[in-house]
Amino acid sequence: MDALREWWRRLLGTLTRRRHDQDIEAEMQAHLELAAEEGRRRGLSSEQAERAARLQVGGLSQAMEAMRDQRGLPWLDELSRDIRHALRSLRRTPLFTAIALLTLGLGIGANTAIFSIVNAVILRPLPYSNPGRLMNLTAEFSAVGRTEDTLSIPEYLEFRRMNQSFQTLGAYTTGADVYTTGEVNLLAGDRPLRARSISVDRQLLDAIGVQPAQGRLFNDQEISFETRGLAAPVAILSHELWQAAFGGQPLVGGSVKIDGRPHEIVGIMPPATDLMDNRTEVWLPLGFHREIGRNRSMHVLHIAGRLKDGVTEDSAQAELNALLENWGERAGVSGHVPKSHPERTAEHTLRLRPMHAAVVGTAGRSVWILQVAVGLVLLIGCANLANLLIARTESRRREFAVRTALGAGRTRLMRQTLTEALILSVGGGMLGIWLAAAAVHAIVLAYPTSVPRISGISIDVSVLLFALAISVVTGVLFGLAPIAQKQTNDLMTALKQGGERSNSSGGRHHVRSLLVVAEVAMAVMLVVGAGLLIRTVYNLNSVNTGFDRSRLVTFSITLPEPYDPDTRAPAYQRLVDKLRAAPGIQNAAIMSGLPPDRRPTPANTAIENYTNADGRPIELIDYYQAVIGDYFATMGIPLVAGRAFEPGDSSSSGRFVVVNETLANRIWKGQNPIGQRIRPALGVFGFANGPWHTVIGVAKDVKQGGVENQTGSEVYVSLDQIGLAPPTMNVVLRTTLTPATLSQSLQRLVSEVDPAVPIVRLRDMDSVFAESIRRPRLLTTLLGGFACLALLLATIGTYGVLSYIVAERRHDIGVRIALGAGRSSVFAMVMKQGMQLTVAGVVVGVIGALGLNQLIASMLFGVEPTDATTVAAVSATITLAAAIACWLPAWRASRLDPMVLLKHD
Amino acid sequence: MEPEYSIGMSNRDNRKADILQGTLDVMVLQMLNALGPLHGYAVAARLEQISSGALRLNMGTLYPSLMRLEQRGFIRGDWDVTENNRKARFYAITAAGRRQLTRQKDEWDRTVSIMRAVLREQD
Repeated sequence: MDALREWWRRLLGTLTRRRHDQDIEAEMQAHLELAAEEGRRRGLSSEQAERAARLQVGGLSQAMEAMRDQRGLPWLDELSRDIRHALRSLRRTPLFTAIALLTLGLGIGANTAIFSIVNAVILRPLPYSNPGRLMNLTAEFSAVGRTEDTLSIPEYLEFRRMNQSFQTLGAYTTGADVYTTGEVNLLAGDRPLRARSISVDRQLLDAIGVQPAQGRLFNDQEISFETRGLAAPVAILSHELWQAAFGGQPLVGGSVKIDGRPHEIVGIMPPATDLMDNRTEVWLPLGFHREIGRNRSMHVLHIAGRLKDGVTEDSAQAELNALLENWGERAGVSGHVPKSHPERTAEHTLRLRPMHAAVVGTAGRSVWILQVAVGLVLLIGCANLANLLIARTESRRREFAVRTALGAGRTRLMRQTLTEALILSVGGGMLGIWLAAAAVHAIVLAYPTSVPRISGISIDVSVLLFALAISVVTGVLFGLAPIAQKQTNDLMTALKQGGERSNSSGGRHHVRSLLVVAEVAMAVMLVVGAGLLIRTVYNLNSVNTGFDRSRLVTFSITLPEPYDPDTRAPAYQRLVDKLRAAPGIQNAAIMSGLPPDRRPTPANTAIENYTNADGRPIELIDYYQAVIGDYFATMGIPLVAGRAFEPGDSSSSGRFVVVNETLANRIWKGQNPIGQRIRPALGVFGFANGPWHTVIGVAKDVKQGGVENQTGSEVYVSLDQIGLAPPTMNVVLRTTLTPATLSQSLQRLVSEVDPAVPIVRLRDMDSVFAESIRRPRLLTTLLGGFACLALLLATIGTYGVLSYIVAERRHDIGVRIALGAGRSSVFAMVMKQGMQLTVAGVVVGVIGALGLNQLIASMLFGVEPTDATTVAAVSATITLAAAIACWLPAWRASRLDPMVLLKHD
Repeated sequence: MEPEYSIGMSNRDNRKADILQGTLDVMVLQMLNALGPLHGYAVAARLEQISSGALRLNMGTLYPSLMRLEQRGFIRGDWDVTENNRKARFYAITAAGRRQLTRQKDEWDRTVSIMRAVLREQD
């Protein structure tokens, strides 16, 4: 207790300096005088008395020091003294301080920015109760390379019935299906809006455990897989939409027109409620047509559920595997059932995944790669700063010698250096946090959909702690460099005979040389990685998508209630005619799916005179494309056999389809596909299956499931012939005009057909394409930026060290020149030293790169992780950069005037 | 010639210093308790006298001790004038100080009697 009191007073003593120095000094001065007086009383002279007093009671300055130690907390006092001294000495060398702060700011800032992404995307748990229990169930069509795909409704209901592992299992649909675009038209007052939607069943809401902030959730009657066409007219709004569009007015029980139909608003969700990073604004009940509800091959549902307590992921997967062995028997069905080992294109299997992994997907790996890359950049920066600090310490040798003579211990001096380093790194860290906040803001603005969960990104407590931690670690790392240098030098000196060697010994530069080699190696690793990714993006970009991407503009429109399939088709037809007649537009067409990235619409299709491996006259077709107008000409898809649809076809009595090469080769290999007949499964569009259609043409393959995946089989049907159309279609125009110029006239044309329908997602085909590869593009852009930064820093570092070595050895060089060495040989000598370090670094870097590249192997396309061309090109580039960095110091060395040098030293 | 105990203190020798500090603190408290408020020099002078010259305190030991006792609340110091009209800082023991002194005295008695008993054994 008393000790605590003492400690408290001592803390106060440090902070407030109670009992000032003068006060204490006065007291002790009085003591001295009393002692001196005693001496005088005993007969000594004044002088002798004072001297005797001092000898007896001790010196004033030592006593003062003892008092100061008692008054304050010595370690705190020393620390504040160190800090003040460090600040002063940093102020005296503003250039060094500025460079250090800038380097650290950039390095720590980049690391903090990437970590905030890691934090928001990967580390942050999902915003549901006990999110670790949530799992997604997906289908996998390995033959067409589709994973994380949807299930059919019968499968879902069967799994729900048969499984024992899940407490609740629910279903949902979002956009990019044939039926929905994931958006709905919403009328807020008289303002038409486009809102992001999701359709769910009651079980899904129960599984994620969400409770409405107002009103209620959907009840079982409102969910149906047997509707006559549309879902129940109820909806739940998100908190954000309710505030933004409806001003937070009471809305529960009221009616809002959604897609032209009045929906009753039964509830409002709590703030920030979402599923699978969909940015949902409107929650709708699931409702599927009877035809689809019974169709095994129409995969339309995403499934997610909550495991029962005590059930592990592994046991749930094991149960699923067991079910897959004989799904058909267990469920009592036959036909298109999931299998444990799918063999043919038509077959699929099912997989369980934790919901967190499903949301993050492959983005997780990309983000970690970025974190490693940016960590390497920081290490390179540290190496540069370590070199700078060593140089600085060397230049302060005299100051340190004086201080050592005055009694400063070696640890004290080391602490001084470390304090300077930490002040720099913490200062740089604060600058870095500020830069990171700006960078994060910019990334979210520029790439809002490229990274999942990025909307939740922020510089929060864990990010700040991370920034602080790496600031401290960075400071310690490069602060210890001068100490390491000194230890190494001492060791080297001790090992050799005798004491100090001359300045020209290479031994003084061990640590610095090592740092340069390390820097170059890390830069090589980064640049090779970036190079591989750049080639990947280039390859992705150059993939032949099968159609002519240039001068194509596209948008999508939805014709909701009160349109029927048979009133829509004429409306779309009218639109196509208007568009073709419009000035500036060469050709126009309308289709259901937008390449190059569409979800497959696998459907069993009857084929005449054909039996598949199971002996049945059907085959699973991967993609169906419904078109209106001159689709092939507009898109620039060549036909390899037969002909495309013609206007005269709608009036003829025959029914025609076009197939793609993959389908023709699969079904009619060696035969002529023209004239063969199939029965297209029009159920994929929600229509009744049609009669036999004749194949009139074979089109060149078009990329459907992403540019890096194989093409699947595709059937084109003409809606002009069928006379029906689904609600949402994509419009494509061949034109030399830009989307911006066209926007107004297009809206006008569409309004002539129907004034209430807005144009959505108007853009040119190149940006559609760019968006389909936006993830690799973002990763490559960032990684490329970091690689450039690393290269720059390593070059600067090499230049710095070599300059310093030249400066240190100038005496030696001067002697050489005076003794007759040519300037070119001096140049060569310095260059050789620099290039030796560089080559060592490149070799280490290449080895490291070959290992590290395995990490990014899964993201590469069209290039191997051990690609020799890339490695060679990078090595050459870095060697060249280093050569440039070495050139200036070498040139300066060759230009030294020996007379000037020798005179000065 | 009797051995001299000059209780000097090195700033670095912490553990030994603690024991010496504790002993000195008790002696100072005892002085102030027995003789009333004294200034620093007087305390040192009295201690030297009582120990017949064995205890010679230098300022670097005495004054930190006084400051420590003051920080712990066992004594209180105020500036005042001596009989020779000199300004000096006088220290007086507090109630808490008296309690501490009693505690320490008891502890010392116990220590001494234990040591006596143990060391006697060796004879």
